[in-house]
Amino acid sequence: MIDIFFELAIRSVRLNFTRSILASVGIVIGVVAISSMGMLGTNMQLEVKDQLASSANTIVLSADAVRMGPPGFSPSSSSTSTTSGITKLQLTKIKQVVGTNGSVIPLYDTNTEFTLSSVAGRGTVYGMDSNDVTKFLTIDNGTNIGGINEVLVGSSIATNFNLKIGSRIRMGSDSSTSRPEVRIVGILNARGTVADGVSTDNGIVVSRDWYTNEYGGKDEYSQVNVIVKNTDDISDIETALDDKINTDKKTPAIRIRDASSQLDTISSTLSTVTTFIMAIGGISLLVAAVSIFNVMMMSVNERVQEIGILLSIGTETGEVRRMFLYEALVLGILGALIGGFMSLVIGYCVVNAMIGTTAYFFLPASIAYIPVSMAIGMVVCVISGLYPAWRASNMDPIDALRAD
Amino acid sequence: MTNTPLISLVDVTKTYHLESGDFTALNCISLDILENDFVAIMGPSGSGKSTMMNQLGILDVPTTGNLYLDGKDVAAMNAFERTHLRRDEIGYIFQKFYLIPLLSAYENVEYPLILKFKKRDTTGRASEMLAAVGIDNEKATHRPNQLSGGQQQRVAIARALVNDPKILLCDEPTGNLDRKTGYQIMDILCDLHAKGKTVILVTHDPKVAEYAKRTIHLDDGRIAET
Repeated sequence: MIDIFFELAIRSVRLNFTRSILASVGIVIGVVAISSMGMLGTNMQLEVKDQLASSANTIVLSADAVRMGPPGFSPSSSSTSTTSGITKLQLTKIKQVVGTNGSVIPLYDTNTEFTLSSVAGRGTVYGMDSNDVTKFLTIDNGTNIGGINEVLVGSSIATNFNLKIGSRIRMGSDSSTSRPEVRIVGILNARGTVADGVSTDNGIVVSRDWYTNEYGGKDEYSQVNVIVKNTDDISDIETALDDKINTDKKTPAIRIRDASSQLDTISSTLSTVTTFIMAIGGISLLVAAVSIFNVMMMSVNERVQEIGILLSIGTETGEVRRMFLYEALVLGILGALIGGFMSLVIGYCVVNAMIGTTAYFFLPASIAYIPVSMAIGMVVCVISGLYPAWRASNMDPIDALRAD
Repeated sequence: MTNTPLISLVDVTKTYHLESGDFTALNCISLDILENDFVAIMGPSGSGKSTMMNQLGILDVPTTGNLYLDGKDVAAMNAFERTHLRRDEIGYIFQKFYLIPLLSAYENVEYPLILKFKKRDTTGRASEMLAAVGIDNEKATHRPNQLSGGQQQRVAIARALVNDPKILLCDEPTGNLDRKTGYQIMDILCDLHAKGKTVILVTHDPKVAEYAKRTIHLDDGRIAET
């Protein structure tokens, strides 16, 4: 049986349908804003997580170049030695620790300009042993680097500059004195967001010798990647590397990280941004709350005599209160249902447009934002109806009956 | 039936505190109304008729003095108990009918039953009451604004009777009706009185008051004559 007071609430909403729908628009916007933003953030996190999972077997070691000191601290005047990369000795220690449990790939990298004809571009140059390239990179088209001037380019650079096998590019900016020309022998597969620090999509891979000839810094590697054979050994190897190299625990020489630590950082950042954007979306719910409050007050003021009748013939104050809370809830349900449906459509479009895939859209972590935001919308409505309902139930029946 | 008063007012005074000063609407009224009595209350405007009705209908409590309903002191009850007393013991019939506009005629009559039993009426009591006042099933589905004044007052009488109250409190029940329909409504009230109900009637119309067994004249908040 439907509660008579719920029935009365529905009839009141139906009687003032246009007004009710307009009041619910705020809730619709709020629900759509919260759920779409929430789903967008979650889909981003899920996508990054999936991409990082491809390099879950990689430990990244980099020189801890950031040294904090007291005011006036200057590395050159300090007795602490600052290295700009991982030294040959440290590399040897790394190889000793890893042994046969994985591959050790020392890398150089820097950011540089390059030009193709007269068009300038910017990207990261990675210097590595040609034998290491195929250990973690996939050549989509062409061959591996062999000669000193041969390079591989990432998929984004190749697409943006319409580069092909055999194309030649000049490294360095127009103003550089040295602008060596290199020849493209291969184009790499797209890697997307990766946890191993080698984002080749917008990069150029050169041989180790070419790199040190051009940029110097021989045996001072930017980073060393360790690809372990068994991912279960990752934390053991990390501990062993830390013990072996970072002997001074207060100022560790090498920073050791893997996909999970990076994922934590990225997830935490994305989560903060998502929460912030959702909070902005939530402001529209505040506006909606004012609108619902206004409509509920109108409903109470228009029905003073009816409230008087109800109270005088024996309706309890709690029942009158319930009737108006039901009315606010009906407005909430109306807004939440429309908002929920629109969230599904708009959220799907937004996620598709912003991330480029909807593979994660229907996963529980993502789709759950719709019922949650619908529930928030309904709760906001009921809260907005509290005062009007209280006011209605506390009327003096004599005064209410006299009202015209 | 006993001779113990169903309603007893003992030195009832009602004073309203206004900005312009205190206004005494009822001044030391003492009155007994027995079960199955038919009382008309008459008086000029401002004589205290409406205040008296509010007191008798337990919509208000005396400032001083006591009002007993079925031997119970109304002022000693809490709001919840007074609400239930109104629902179970008193049937209200108003000049302006005061039906609930969102409900059909049938639902208006069924409403007090839902209040009392917390469920829809499955006993046929609401339909029975409507039939007793001459509202057929087709008319029963209409909303109040689709009914004539006479039909609305009949529905209001059916609503007042549905919980089988001891007292029928009628505030100018014919005031908004034409003479012929007014007499029809008075005939229904007389019939209900004949069936044992206690009827209290407030009216301006001496012809209507003639239906009552006795008439109380109020003037300036006091009983002028009975």
